[in-house]
Order: sequence, then C-alpha cells, then structure tokens
Amino acid sequence: MEILDYDIAVLGSGIAGLSAAIHASVESKGKLRIAIVSKLHVMRSHSVAAEGGISGVLYPQHNKDSEKLHAYDTVKGSDYLADQDAVDVLVKNAPQAIRFLNNIGVPWNRTDNDRIAQRPFGGMSVPRTAFAADKTGFFIMRALYDELIGHGNIDVFHEHFATSLVADKGNVHGFVTFDMADRSVKAFKAKSVIIATGGFSRIFGFTTNSYSNTGDGTAMAMRAGAALKDMEFVQFHPTGLVPSGILITEASRGEGGYLRNSKGERFMERYAKSKMELAPRDIVSRAIISEINAGRGLKDPVSGLEYVHLDLRHLPKGRIDERLPMVKELAMKMLNIDPATEMIPIRPVAHFTMGGIHTDINGNVVHGNGSLFKGLWAVGECACVSVHGANRLGSNSLSQCSVWGSITGKEAAAYAQRAAPDPDRFYSIAQDEEAHIADVIDNKGDITPYQIRDELQGIMGRYMYVFRNMKGMARAQQELAGLRKSVARMHVADKGSTYNTNLRDAFETINLVDLAMVVTHCALNRRESRGAHVVIEHPKRDDRHWLKHTIAYLSQSGVSISYLPVKLGEFEPEERKY
Amino acid sequence: MRSSRYAIFMYGGMLGVPLLMFITLVALYYASPYAFSVLPALLVIALAVYAVTGVKEIFVHGHYTNSGNWIVAGAETQSGKMPSGRHGERVEVVVNRFNSLSKKFDSITYKFRATKFTTVLDALLSIKSYQDNTLSMRYNCRMGVCGSCAMVVNGKPVLACETNLLGSASSNTVEVTPMLGHPLTKDIVPDLNDFFERHKSVDPTLYRKNAGEKYAQGKEFKQSKEELDKYLPYSYCIMCGLCLDACPVVNSNPNFIGPQALAQSYRYYKDSRDQKGKRRLFDMDSWDGAWGCEFAGACSKACPKGVDPASAIQMLKGSLMKSIAQESE
Repeated sequence: MEILDYDIAVLGSGIAGLSAAIHASVESKGKLRIAIVSKLHVMRSHSVAAEGGISGVLYPQHNKDSEKLHAYDTVKGSDYLADQDAVDVLVKNAPQAIRFLNNIGVPWNRTDNDRIAQRPFGGMSVPRTAFAADKTGFFIMRALYDELIGHGNIDVFHEHFATSLVADKGNVHGFVTFDMADRSVKAFKAKSVIIATGGFSRIFGFTTNSYSNTGDGTAMAMRAGAALKDMEFVQFHPTGLVPSGILITEASRGEGGYLRNSKGERFMERYAKSKMELAPRDIVSRAIISEINAGRGLKDPVSGLEYVHLDLRHLPKGRIDERLPMVKELAMKMLNIDPATEMIPIRPVAHFTMGGIHTDINGNVVHGNGSLFKGLWAVGECACVSVHGANRLGSNSLSQCSVWGSITGKEAAAYAQRAAPDPDRFYSIAQDEEAHIADVIDNKGDITPYQIRDELQGIMGRYMYVFRNMKGMARAQQELAGLRKSVARMHVADKGSTYNTNLRDAFETINLVDLAMVVTHCALNRRESRGAHVVIEHPKRDDRHWLKHTIAYLSQSGVSISYLPVKLGEFEPEERKY
Repeated sequence: MRSSRYAIFMYGGMLGVPLLMFITLVALYYASPYAFSVLPALLVIALAVYAVTGVKEIFVHGHYTNSGNWIVAGAETQSGKMPSGRHGERVEVVVNRFNSLSKKFDSITYKFRATKFTTVLDALLSIKSYQDNTLSMRYNCRMGVCGSCAMVVNGKPVLACETNLLGSASSNTVEVTPMLGHPLTKDIVPDLNDFFERHKSVDPTLYRKNAGEKYAQGKEFKQSKEELDKYLPYSYCIMCGLCLDACPVVNSNPNFIGPQALAQSYRYYKDSRDQKGKRRLFDMDSWDGAWGCEFAGACSKACPKGVDPASAIQMLKGSLMKSIAQESE
C-alpha cells in the first residue's frame, strides 16, 4: 500500500472541492501541499450538469436587490428550516464568489453595460441569478480546472475511489482509496481533510443526477462517526425530461416558459397565483403530481411515465438559442423535439439532497456526540450547513458550493499550518481498510450490485417520492432493512485489476443503501409537511413541534435520531404563499 | 467571431462550397456550354447568397445564435437520425473490448432490446448490469456535458450518451470500439492522462500581470458582449478527446500538441480578461504547435460540441503571422 502525505487532501472534485483546494492554496500563498482526489476525471464531476446559474446580489443599485432580500427569499424558500446565520454568510459572500469565478475565466452572459447578466429564478424576488448560457456549472468547472492547473502545489489524482476515512478518536487523518487504473490501494494522509463528494440522489432511479452521485463521502463520514442532518429532505425538480430524467433547467421557466397539462391549461394558476411557474420547486413539483393524479397528465407509451408539458414555443425568436442552447440540444438529441415548435414532456425528478453531513457554520464536521471533528470539513451538496432548509431555491446551490468552498479551504489551510504530527496508527487503520477492499472483491454471493441498486431505486420511487404517507414510509423502512441484509450476499464478478467498475459499483451500492435507510428513517419520524417533505396524513407545517433539524448518526442500535433547534433570526416563520 | 463563417475556405473537410461549385458547373453545362463565360460572375453570386442567407448551416458544422455565437453543432448534425424504431426492437451490440493483459481486442456480441429512446450508453450500461458485469466504460452525466463517454460507434466518433442506438444501427447491428488515438486501459476505456498533459502544456490559466488581482475582494474584470463572443465558441470544450483521436497529424507526429490544446490556447488568447497577450501566440509558434496543423479539419468534424478547433488553429496562425510581421517592422 502506497501512502501519500499531504497538508490538505480534498475528496471530490466538483465546484465545492475545486474551490476549496484553490482557496486553500491562495490562502497559504502556494506553500501547502494539496491533493485533489476524485473517483472521476476531476473536470467531469456532476457540477458540470448545473445549468441555470448562480445566485448573488451583484449590483444592488441597478435592480433594487439587497442581501436582505436574498436572505428573505432563501429563508422563505427553505420553509423556515434554514439556519439564518448561515444564510447570512451565503448572501454576504455570494457576490464575491461570482466575481472570483469571473476573474478566473467564466464566460458569463453580459448586459449591454458590460456587467454580468442576471436572470429570474424560482422563488427569487428579483433577477439575481448570474448565468453562462444554460451551461453555468460546466463553465465554472472548466474555469476552476484551468485555474488549478496554474497552482503548482496542487496535485490532481484522477479516478481514485475512496472507501473509508482514517479516523481515530474524533480526529481525521486521511482516507483510503483504490486507483481505478490498476486497483492499487493508496492511502492519503493529510492534516486537513475536506469532503466534497456531492449529493446522493441516485438513491432514486428517476433522477437528474450523474451516475456518480452516490453519496460516498456522506456514507463514509457517517461510518466514521459523523452526524447527518435533515436527511429526509430530497428536492424533486419539476422539470425532468421524460423518460431519461435529464434536467431541463429552471431557467427555461425563468426565461418565460409555461407548464401545461393535457388540456393545455397553465395549471400553476391553481397552486401559486402570483409566482405561477416561478414558484419554488417543491410547490411546482407537487402541482404537477396533483395534476397527474387528477387525470390531467399525459402518458409516455414506451416508459409508462406520466408527465405534463413544458411550453417554450411562445418565447421571443432567438431566446432559446441565446440563453437556453442546452435545452434545445437535449430536446433534439434525446427526443427529436425542437422546443421552438413543440412542447417538452417533463415530470418531477429527484434532483438535490438538502440533507448531508452535519457541519458548523464554517463547514467543520460535527460528530454524532455533538463535538467537532478535528481536521475534517465537508462542503457542497454532501454537507448540510443549513442554508437550504427543507427546500433549496434554484441557483443557491452553486453559490453555496463556491462560498463554503472558499471558507472551508481557508479553514483547512489555517488548521494544516498549526496541526500536530499525525499518529502512528494511520498505517494500521489504513491496512484494515485494504483488507476490507479485498473482502468485498472476494465475497461469495448470488446477487449483483445492480440487482440491489434496482430494488433500492424501486423502493424509493414507490414510497419516498413527492407525496409520502406513513404506511408507505414504514414499508420502505422494512424493505430497505431486508435489502441491507442482502448486501452480505453481494458478488463482484470482475476480479480484474484494471478499471474495475464492477468493484466500484459494489461500494457505491452499499453507500446508497445505507443513505436510503437514513433518509427513510428520518422521514418517518418527521410528522409534518415542510418544504420537500410532504406527508399526506400530516399535511400542515407544524412549527410548534417541528421547527427543528433532524440529526442522525450511527450508534450500537443502528441509526439514532435526535433534534436540534433551528437558528432563527430576523425572519419569523410565516405562512408560505406565492 | 464572424470569421468562423469563412472557416470553410481555410481547411478541407467541409463539402459545402465545392459541392455548390460542382452543382453550378453541371447545371450550366447542361443549360448551355457557352454559359461558361459567365461562370466567375455566377460563382460570386452563389457565394454571396451563401454568405448572407442561413443556408450556411447546411454546409458548416454548427450554427449561429442571434448573438452571433457559433455553437450547438451537435444538435443539428444528429437530430435527423433521432428517435425512430419500435419498442423492443432487437439489436446486436458488438463491443470491441481491449484486453489489458493480452493487449489485443476481443470482439464480443451482446443481444439487446432497444426502445426508440435508448442511447448507446444506455445499452452498454444495461449490458454491464444484466449480461456481463465485467464490461467497463467511462461515463457520468449521460447528458453530453461531462465528456466521459467518447467512443467510436459504427465507425463514427461520438459521445455514447447522446447517440441514439437504433439511429446508429446498420442492419440492426451497432459496433462499439474505443477511440484508438489514445492509449487504452481496458475494454473501451481510453487513458487520457497524456491528453490532459497536452492541455496543461499550453498554460490554460487566465493570466494577470498582478497575480493577486484575481482573488482580490470586490475586483471584477469587465467584459463586453463583443469581447465575450470572441472566445466563447472555443470555451465549449468538454475535454472528451475525440478531436485528438481524429487528428491525422498527431497520429503520425505524437509531438504535435493537437487540436484540443491549441484551441484552448487560442481561447485564452482571445479572452479580453487575459493579460498574457502575444506570449500565448509565440508559445505556439513551432512545428509541434500551430504550424503542425495540416488543415485536415477532422477535429472539427469529430467535435460533438461544435467547438471547431480547426478554425481556432487557423486563427492562431493568422494572428501569429500578423504579430511576426509587426515585430519585424
């Protein structure tokens, strides 16, 4: 086993991870040795799929925007489950994050006055979403990748799959990976570790997410003792392309698109009269499913999926080409539909996991016992710093990744410069993990990772989708427990050492099942409807009992749950109307 | 930006103008051999029509947006062959798998039932999940933006995730082969480390004379719409490796830095926020740099995102010549 020694090791290479590495490098004036470790080629992380844009109050004097208004929109959008001190950090730092991205090369769309253009987005009171066509995430990723090439102290490790953190008594000292190229085990030893592995919406089969979004870092952190927060809140984006689930950006509605049911009605009138199609995602998704349930949907004969229509036909000529080229590209390539003349079939799709690794306001990971982990940060979708609460507003995710990328990078750099030497136990802990990897590949069994994954996604799709009910969630919990047992019989057919994706899939499947169990457990306990979590038997938000975060962690009896009060501030919870 | 419109004059591979000329000639010959005397005038008219109207999309790989951007080539080039076929149609998928031990290819045929929506990547993933767990490929976003799944399908270099299976089939067979212009790892997975090194070698980082400026609080480098248009077409590169795979020069001279890296060099040269200026040009002033390109145009045809590296390289050459001329004055 090879041991690689670094000051900072960043696990994950999306916008959060790359930002963290770059800001740590800048903070240390290029002195610290930093590793970026990714199971993918680092420029290919799921952040590339972000389309619509990134939120931030750039020019308040020009569009009557303010940080306070951004904060209010975010808190209201979160159904008051966001921590308002964290939201404050988000809105204050987002403009600088966008300017930094501009300064390293993102090709923002521009206004006539050479400023960065901003578009309307769901739940945002004014246009404050900066964008680069509808490939904003892709352009940010390319700019960050090109920027990090200029930092000689950052080493990039493409295609190394991490299986476990090396943690010892509340301290984290690194993690263990295997190299996809030759399956050699490599342990990264670092004073500071930053987890930035993204969300886990792949627990659902119908999802916008890349295949890589299996929550590896979240699951690993949980096994190392970290607490997870608000795991029951999974965002369903209203406009997933039927039948693939590919994301059709919210910007398509921001630029003026309509939603229509089978009768051609703009049905959002019934659900959010003032905001219409630009109501927050949880509300629009519920509206679509309500229409379908009322028999006003359409059905795709091939997949059997029911859907409604996204209508862009009335947009001014050229608007699609200039601002939504990817929507056009996807509709044409996947369905042979030209959005300028035909409507696009869409339905709500698992998109974003609001929950994740419980961190303090600086991204420092919190242990299940409530203390802070030494040397461990989490950032991006894998983390829950509580800015999105029960429902994220579109374009707040990229600002969250960028803002906390910068914060955790700087924190990790400061810690690495003063941290004590690593313990001798690193090698023995890493060796145990090496043996575990060998066990997984040698395990004898009769069930493939793909069978387990399919069953998992079936359960989640049936019981944990837009509308949930108590009986269904209890069934899901029961079935998942059975599925978890079958993991012991999981068989890896590929015994080769070169680019063994079968082995990788086996690890990912275990992570998915573990996280799905936590999601279901947390959901079953929350007896109210808030943001993305809707329980038919408890249709109302219940601030008296449930204005609190769910905290989940592994204990001897399995998953234990406790609660933590929401940090309120200026904005008192009120009825959420759009 | 507008100069891309004339890209067809600058490198081969685009059939538009020669085809137009040929049709005109044939038509004229049959109309009246004497009309040849007015041929030059007619050609000028034909070209003028071509330059002014939207007919250009038929000839050139890509199209313009109303803001003058040259993008989204893929949508047009493939849409004609999109969803066709019936539910449950049988297809034989032949995968030429590179064996990492024997260093040879094993050609294996899998039977597969496709729907009209099935992409080549969908088929490969299904085969891996339910027929042969040992099959390996690289993939991630499945929406044509991460650049993972470049491969050769029935002889055509494509991204597997945005290529319709039935649309690519010939006599219900689809043959999948890895890109051969890169070293191979396993099955259809190429090793792109050398490709990434090429990209890195052109110093693709936005350069400022005052390095700290990029990170300074409140600093925002301005840019106009016009300035954006100058480099935007080349910033759509997803680093999939198809252009390098297609390049005939790099296949004979491995030291030639290749179309992807050269296009990125030009992208930063044209970015008004970058201050490296002509040094970017002179870095490419060698036979392994810009001058190595022989106008084959294969890169631009292979690019699934319409980046058109061939035109970028010709612009790079043009800018270099101008700069060299200015220097010697």
